[in-house]
Amino acid sequence: LGGFFSTIFSSLFGTREMRILILGLDGAGKTTILYRLQVGEVVTTIPTIGFNVETVTYKNLKFQVWDLGGQTSIRPYWRCYYSNTDAVIYVVDSCDRDRIGISKSELVAMLEEEELKKAILVVFANKQDMEQAMTPTEMANSLGLPALKDRKWQIFKTSATKGTGLDEAMEWLVEALKSRQ
Amino acid sequence: MFAKLKKKIAEEAAIAPRPGGAARIPRSVSKESITSVGADSGDDFASDGSSSREDLSSQLLRRNEQIRKLEAKLSDYAEQVRNLQRIKEKLEIALEKHQDSSMKKFQEQNEVYQANRAKMAEGMALALEKKDQEWREKLVHLKKEKEMLAAQLQEMREQSLNLFQKRDEIDELEGFQQQELAKVKHMLLKKEESLSRAQRELEACSQELAHAKEELQVTSHLSSCLSSELQDLRQQHSELAAQRDGQLAAEVNAENKIAALEQRGQELQTLIQRLSADLENTQVAASSCEKRLETSQMEHESLKLEYEQHKLKVTVEIDEKNKLLERLQEKVSSLEKRLEGNFSGDEHAWELLKEKTALEQKLDDTRQQLLAARTSHAETVNLLETQVTKLNSQVTDAQASLGEREEFLKTFRESSMCQLKELEQALKLANGALVRSKEEIGERDLQIQKLQTDLEVESSKLQDHISVAKHQCAERISSLEAQIAALETAREFDKTTSQHKISQLEQENEDLIASRKEYESSLQKQEFELERLTKELSSRETVSVGIARALEEAQKQRAELQQQVADLILLIKEKDQLINEKTDVLLKKEEELNQLSQDHGALLLQMHLLQSDMDACKSQATEREEAAGKQISVLSLKIQEQEHLMASGRNTLALEAARALNKHLHDPEASEVEQNGEVATADIIQLQKDNRDLEQQISEKNKMIKQLQQRMTELKKTLQKELKIRPDNEIPEVREKPNSEVPNVAMTVTNNADLNDSREINFEYLKHVVLKFMSCRESEAFHLIKAVSVLLNFSQEEENMLKETLEYKMSWFGSKPSPKGSVRPSISNPRTAWS
Repeated sequence: LGGFFSTIFSSLFGTREMRILILGLDGAGKTTILYRLQVGEVVTTIPTIGFNVETVTYKNLKFQVWDLGGQTSIRPYWRCYYSNTDAVIYVVDSCDRDRIGISKSELVAMLEEEELKKAILVVFANKQDMEQAMTPTEMANSLGLPALKDRKWQIFKTSATKGTGLDEAMEWLVEALKSRQ
Repeated sequence: MFAKLKKKIAEEAAIAPRPGGAARIPRSVSKESITSVGADSGDDFASDGSSSREDLSSQLLRRNEQIRKLEAKLSDYAEQVRNLQRIKEKLEIALEKHQDSSMKKFQEQNEVYQANRAKMAEGMALALEKKDQEWREKLVHLKKEKEMLAAQLQEMREQSLNLFQKRDEIDELEGFQQQELAKVKHMLLKKEESLSRAQRELEACSQELAHAKEELQVTSHLSSCLSSELQDLRQQHSELAAQRDGQLAAEVNAENKIAALEQRGQELQTLIQRLSADLENTQVAASSCEKRLETSQMEHESLKLEYEQHKLKVTVEIDEKNKLLERLQEKVSSLEKRLEGNFSGDEHAWELLKEKTALEQKLDDTRQQLLAARTSHAETVNLLETQVTKLNSQVTDAQASLGEREEFLKTFRESSMCQLKELEQALKLANGALVRSKEEIGERDLQIQKLQTDLEVESSKLQDHISVAKHQCAERISSLEAQIAALETAREFDKTTSQHKISQLEQENEDLIASRKEYESSLQKQEFELERLTKELSSRETVSVGIARALEEAQKQRAELQQQVADLILLIKEKDQLINEKTDVLLKKEEELNQLSQDHGALLLQMHLLQSDMDACKSQATEREEAAGKQISVLSLKIQEQEHLMASGRNTLALEAARALNKHLHDPEASEVEQNGEVATADIIQLQKDNRDLEQQISEKNKMIKQLQQRMTELKKTLQKELKIRPDNEIPEVREKPNSEVPNVAMTVTNNADLNDSREINFEYLKHVVLKFMSCRESEAFHLIKAVSVLLNFSQEEENMLKETLEYKMSWFGSKPSPKGSVRPSISNPRTAWS
């Protein structure tokens, strides 16, 4: 019944929950980022078989954040969640130089979906606290981001364990979502 | 009843009128009587059985009454009989009436029949007349048709005449048409020219478009550069922010320092206070000491007074003693005088002496006492003096210590003052630094803001530029595309019109074209042959040139060996010449040569091998030379033939080609003649080259093998990872083509047999999703419908049903959607048969 009333309230006051997907290869740190955003703490995570969904409030905006498991076998099911998505947070492991090609192909395949044509793209160059991490420009080039057309995107260097970069990224995302409305 | 009766009567009347009507009525009467009598008797028996004897009278009465009743009944029955007889009479009358009426009916029917027959006859006659009329009409119609046909025949004849006229006209028209065709040909040529022009224009346009695209690319490149610049600026901004953070940290540090300094100052002040308190204490102590000193001095004075009093007393005592002594001495003297004067009595003298001695002893004692007192006094005085000196020294010490204390205090005050001043100065300095750092921070902020604004302005400018450039490009492209489209439409229009004409003209031109084609084909054949020959020649030439180069290289490589073998080769050549001249000498020379070669063979084993190779290659080279010569001769013959053939058609071209060919041919021949001796080495080099090529190929293959091994290891790694994650995972196929497989899953839910395997694998995933679907909020569950339906292979209907149900749950109003086929999947048909 509480959910029922919340839906009534949200429908009355027009504060629609923004729907955000966190995607990326396995082990990029999606679940850590989700719980860092929600409770502001680093939680110990296990590989996500399935997904996690949490409501995150940031600057009076409510986000329904979906963290989908990134293992190869369950990546095909991402597309089941694409409809009505406002923004996509694409998390990339900055130290994983071997699989950045796979990450790029997954990103490109995702962005070609019709249901995600209007979604804003935020790329998290995660694990920047590591020494051998790639720079954001390097990653943007290797992910082919400059070639994107008709897409509002931005890349941020983050560290989910240290908590750096997440606020700026969320700030940007909030502004982008507000300006889009 | 009556109807039945009537029927029966009618039947009887119809079949055969019988006189048995009277006999039937009594039967029915008898029946009635029997039944009534039976009922009466039954009643009697029953009354007899139940009544007693005492009531006989009443029974008799009852009997009488019954008899009366029976009599009444009898009378009733008689009346009924009479009635029946009356009915019978009535019925008989009715029968007669009926018979009469039926007779009448018969007659009437007969009359009707007669009338009908007459009518029928009349109808038939009428119909016959109608038919006759129709036939007549038809005849008339046929006559009309005949007339019509005759008219048509006449018309046809006229038409045939017209046709002849028209044929003549057509002939005329054909003449005109040919003229028109000629005109059209001319027009076609013109149109083709215009078409080519349009094509050129189109090409120019396309070039312009390409140029525009290049410009667009350049602008996009520029925009990417600008975006990178923007990113750099952002990075700078972040760096500046970091610097600002550092400055803030420094400020905080400075503040902390100031706070520490202030604390220290406070501490020092407390210390000063403590010290002042100590000073006061010491002053108090000093005052107490002074007081003590004063008391001690007082004591000293009192002691002095005591001492003086004591002294006075002692002096008084001494004076008294002295007086006493003097008196005693006087006495003694008096006594002695007396003694001397008297001389009386020794005893008396003795006593006097004794007295005198005693007195002297006493005197001595007193003297001793005096001395002792004196000594004691002196001692006490000394003690007091020592005490006084001690006290004086103490006082002086205390005063000295007091002075020291005071000095110390002064110095301490001075030092603390200095320290305070220093601290205050440091505080001032720190405050100044703080202010400065704040100013700096403010400046930095301003700088950052400026930079940000600059950045924003720049970015906006750049974006404007980009948008303007894009817009321009788009406009240009659109204009160009419009031009192209217009040109294309024009061209297509022209094409269609011209194609029509062309098709007409082409038919006429076919003969000419065919003949021309024949000529052309022959010409082309000749040209092809020429080309082939020239190609062959060129290839030969290239081969010979290659051989020459190889030979030169070999010569260079083998220069040392040749120098070593130079004598031998010269000898061999001489011997060969001799062999040519004299066969006899040849053998000797050869023997010598063999000997020499055997001599050198031990030293030059490689040379032997090379020589044998050289011999073999020589023979091959000679063969090749011969073959090449033959080919060359053949080719020259062919060329001559070609020249002859082409002489009529293309004299100049053929001559030029022949000249070129001859030139090409002469050069290789000359080179070959010159390098006859070194062909063998060339072959060796060729072999070496082959060897090198093979080695290169092997190295390439090795590289490929390495690459494949690397890929294998990578695949193994990924496979192991997958296996670690879930041991029953068997989806390398899925891994390889996840994207191609997925669309099938989503687009057609029924056609996902490929997913069946992975569905088993992803049972865990399904479990998780279903669990979440059932546990989470409705707004979240709404987004999970698709995933659930894909995982559980739902049909479109089932998915929609799920959606509707959730919407119903989420909304306030609306009715619950009726469950459809998904509730009972076995019943697929709609249940219309029930209603």
